Amino acid sequence: MKRYVFVLLIFSLFLTGCWDRRELNELAITLALGIDKIEGEYEVSAQVVVPSEVSPKSSTGSSPVTLFRAKGETVYEALRKMTNESPRKIYPGHLRMLVLGEELAKEGISESLDLLARDWELRSDFYVVIAKDKTATEILNVSTTIENIPANKMFNTLKTSESSLASTKGITLDELIADLTSEGKNAVLTGIEVKGDQEVGPSKQNVETITPSATITYDYLAVFKGNKLIGWLTERESRGYNDITNSVKSTVMPISCPGEGEASIEVIDFNTDMKGKFKNGSPEVDLTIEAEGNVGAVECKIDLKETETIDTLEKIYEKELKGIINETIDTLQNKYESDIFGFGKAIHRSNPKEWKKIKEQWNEEFSELTVNIEVNMKLHNTGTLSNSFLKRVKE
Amino acid sequence: MQNVKINSSQFLILVILFTVGTSILTIPSALAADTDQDAWITVIIGTGIGLLVIWLYTTIALWFPSLTYVQLNEKVFGKWVGKVLSLLVIIMAFLYTASLLYYSGTFLNIHVMPNTPLVALNILMMGIIVMGVRLGLETIARSAEILFFVFLILFLSLVVLIAPGIQIENIQPVFEAEAKKIIKSSIFYVAVASSNAVVLLMVFPAFINKVKHAKKSFIIGNLIGGIVIIIVTFLCISVLGPEKTAREIYASYELTKRINVGDFIQRIEAVSSTLWIISVYFKAVLYFYASVLGIAQLLNIKDYRPLTLPLGMIAVFLSIIIYPSISYQVNWDETTGTYFSLFVGVVLPLLLAVVYGVRKKSLKKDSGSS
Repeated sequence: MKRYVFVLLIFSLFLTGCWDRRELNELAITLALGIDKIEGEYEVSAQVVVPSEVSPKSSTGSSPVTLFRAKGETVYEALRKMTNESPRKIYPGHLRMLVLGEELAKEGISESLDLLARDWELRSDFYVVIAKDKTATEILNVSTTIENIPANKMFNTLKTSESSLASTKGITLDELIADLTSEGKNAVLTGIEVKGDQEVGPSKQNVETITPSATITYDYLAVFKGNKLIGWLTERESRGYNDITNSVKSTVMPISCPGEGEASIEVIDFNTDMKGKFKNGSPEVDLTIEAEGNVGAVECKIDLKETETIDTLEKIYEKELKGIINETIDTLQNKYESDIFGFGKAIHRSNPKEWKKIKEQWNEEFSELTVNIEVNMKLHNTGTLSNSFLKRVKE
Repeated sequence: MQNVKINSSQFLILVILFTVGTSILTIPSALAADTDQDAWITVIIGTGIGLLVIWLYTTIALWFPSLTYVQLNEKVFGKWVGKVLSLLVIIMAFLYTASLLYYSGTFLNIHVMPNTPLVALNILMMGIIVMGVRLGLETIARSAEILFFVFLILFLSLVVLIAPGIQIENIQPVFEAEAKKIIKSSIFYVAVASSNAVVLLMVFPAFINKVKHAKKSFIIGNLIGGIVIIIVTFLCISVLGPEKTAREIYASYELTKRINVGDFIQRIEAVSSTLWIISVYFKAVLYFYASVLGIAQLLNIKDYRPLTLPLGMIAVFLSIIIYPSISYQVNWDETTGTYFSLFVGVVLPLLLAVVYGVRKKSLKKDSGSS
C-alpha cells in the first residue's frame, strides 16, 4: 500500500505542468523590428506574422503581416507596451531585420541596441539597416511581392545583392556592436528606403499591379563616426568599401574599352589582403587584391581572340578599380574623417606597441594615412562566345 | 569502511568531467575580460601550472594509499588539528556543491526557462545528485563512462561545426597582454580547474583498484580536461572576438548559437547546454560525495548514506541564498573564491607535505606498529 501511495505521489509531479511552456498560438512571431526616436521617446514597431494569412488554406486575402507600435522611455518598455495593442506577447526569436530610423542614427544608436543583445530570446543573426530619410515605421509599412512577408523580402534582397552586386552589406547585430566597440574601425550600415507612393504602400493594393506603387529598395552604405551616423556613401564608394574590406563575393564591373564603348567584367573571385605597417615611424596600409573574373559582355569592337586584348582588359580593370578605391579612401579621409575600413585594426594587429602610441589620435592619423594599393586581375573565360557579333553588325 | 573500488579508466573519465565542469561555460569570458585575445594562451599556461598541482596531490596521496584526504590529515597533523583542516576541505566541497547548483539553475534560468523558479530547477538537480551519491561511487563512475561518450561526440561535433567560423584576425596580435596579467589570470584558472581537484583525494587513492595506473589517470585526465578548455576558449575568441567573449556571461553557449551549416544545421544550442549539464552534474556529484564522505569520516560514522538526504536539502537551500545576484557571484568567484580555493587546494596540501617531511620517521613507525 505504501508503495502505491509513493508511486502516485511521484506521478503527481508530472501533473504540475511547466512554468515556461508557450504554445504556438500564444506567440506573436515578429520578423522585423523598427526603432525610432521621436521627441526623446523611443517608438518601437514590430512587424508580426498573421498566421492564418500565411497558410494558403485559411487565407482571406488580407495582409500577411501586421504592425504594432508603441512608445516608451526605453526600448524594452516600448516593446512590452505593445501588449496594449497586440493580443499576444511579442516573440522576437525569429527576427530577421532590425530597422533603425535615420533620426535615431544621427543621435546615436548604441543605447537602443543593448536590449537586443541582452535579451535571451533574440539571436544575433538578423541584419541591421538604416531607414534613409524615413522613419523605421514607414519602412515596415509597405507590402511586397514575391515574398509576401516584407521582412523576408528585405532579408533576402539584402543577402542577394550583397553576394551578387556588392554595393550593400548585410551587417548583423554582432558585427555592428564589434564595429562600435573595437579600436581602429568605425561602423557602416546599409540604408533602406521606400520608393514610390507611400500612401498606397501599406495596403494590399500595392502588390496587385505588376509594378507596385511603392517598393522597398536598398540604398548604399551609411557612414558612422563612433555612435552617430554622419553621412552616406555613393554607389561607387559603397563598392569601394566592399572591395577594401574583402566583402565581395561576386560582382559585375563596367570598364571602358581600349577604343570606345564599354565592357563588363564579371568578378567571380575576389580577395583583399589588408596589412598594416610602420614606415619611418608613420603608419601605412598595404592593400593587395587578387581577383579572378570573366569577360561578361562586350559593347565595343575588340578582338577577344588575341591574348593581348585580355591583358589590356586586365590592366584597365586594375587601373579603374584602383581609381574607385582611391576615391573611396579619399572621401572617408577628407570628407568624413572616419576609418570604416578597419585600417587601424590592421595596424594594431601588425604592431601593437606602436599602435598604442597613436590610437588616441587615430582619427587625425587616419586622414594622413598612406594606403598602397596593388590589384591583380586574372581574366579566364569570355562566356559562350569568343568574338562579339558587334564587329559584324551592319552599319 | 567500504569495499567500493573503481578502476583507473573510470577515474580518468571522472577527472576529465570534473576539470571541464563549470569551466567550459564560464572560463572563456572571465579570461577574455582580463587578457583579451590572449585568453587561450592563459589557459595553456594555467593548465601547465595545474598539472604541477595535480602532481602534488598524487604524491601526497600515495604516501598512504589506503587513506582518504580527511584520514590523511588526521594521520599527519594529529587528531584535532587534522580535523580542523579537514573541516575546511569539507566546507569548500559543500559550498561548491551549492554553488554549482546555483550555476546550473541560473544558466537554465537565463537561457532556457526564465519563468521557472530557481528552486524548482535546483531541487531536480540535487535530486539526481543525492540519488547518485546514495547509489555509491561505482554507480557514479559507470554512468560517467556512458555519458562521457555522449559528451565526447557532442563536443567534437560542436568543434567541427563551428570551425568554419574561425577568423584568425580575432586572435591577433598574439601576446599583446602584459605578462603580469596573463600570470594573474592563469592563477585564477588554476584555482577554478585544478586546485579544486583536491576534493578528488577523497576518491583517490582509497577507492581505486590499481593506484599506480590511477596516478597517471589523474594527471592525464586533468590534461585532457585542460585541452578541452583550451579548444573552447580558442574557438570563443576566434569566432566571437575577444570583446564579445568578455561581454557574454556564458560565451560558449553563444558560440553554439553561431553554428549554421547551409541554413540547415542551425539553432542547436541545446547541444552545448547538454554538454554543460553533464559535466556540471559530475562535478557536483563529486563535490557532494566528498563533503558527505568527509563529514562521515570526520565524525566517525560508519555509513555516509543517512547524511545524503539532509545535506542535500541544506545544499538546495544554500544554493538559493549563496549568491544574492549574478554580479556578486562573478565577483566572488574572481576574488574570495579564488583565494579560498588556492588556500584549501594548494597551501594546505603544501603544509601537509612539509609536516609529513618533518614527522616522516615517527609516522612510518606508527603505521608499522599498528
